Amino acid sequence: MPSAKPKRPLTGVAAFGLVFGLSVLIGVFAGIGSIFAGDVPGPAGLAASLAVNGVAMAGALILCIWWWRRIDEAAREAHKWAWWWGGCTGALVGATILLTVLSRDSDMGFGSLPLHEVLVAGMGLMFTCQVIGYCIAWAVWWVKRR
Amino acid sequence: MNNRLKVLRAERNWSQADLAEALGVSRQTVNALETGRYDPSLPLAFKIARVFDQPIESIFSE
Repeated sequence: MPSAKPKRPLTGVAAFGLVFGLSVLIGVFAGIGSIFAGDVPGPAGLAASLAVNGVAMAGALILCIWWWRRIDEAAREAHKWAWWWGGCTGALVGATILLTVLSRDSDMGFGSLPLHEVLVAGMGLMFTCQVIGYCIAWAVWWVKRR
Repeated sequence: MNNRLKVLRAERNWSQADLAEALGVSRQTVNALETGRYDPSLPLAFKIARVFDQPIESIFSE
């Protein structure tokens, strides 16, 4: 009697593709949810926005855990190294730019911008610098071990 | 740390992909191990020893 072929766990590029696709869907959900929740005034609106963002982040975390359990120890080591060295270095670069720009407010004209726009721009700058640092550090880790 | 992974694999006519599948890791990880640029964790070292049916100390050396 032929035995059933054992089901292989989803790994590698396929697992990454699935996580990436589902992450995009979560992002779409958070975007659309924020549009609707943003129109609701008062505490109910605040609670709705918090719920949408919380569900999206929880979903992202679940996807992250699922993917983390499918990569091997060297891949995990590369990500941990990239998280620490790349993320921290990126944050330092971002903080340097941010502090420089904010201390030159009179030249940059940020005083005319609403506070929330300055906060979002600062967060975006820091996040971008950290992601760039992370990607560079991750690539360096693997290139050194080729 | 030095290791005899490449020699042991060659003796068995295994590709890096074959060994990676036996160990449950990626081919890139096997390559990093063979070049000595990545030291495995203790659980992975034990798994390597089991796959090659040899004691750990005969595979890895300082």
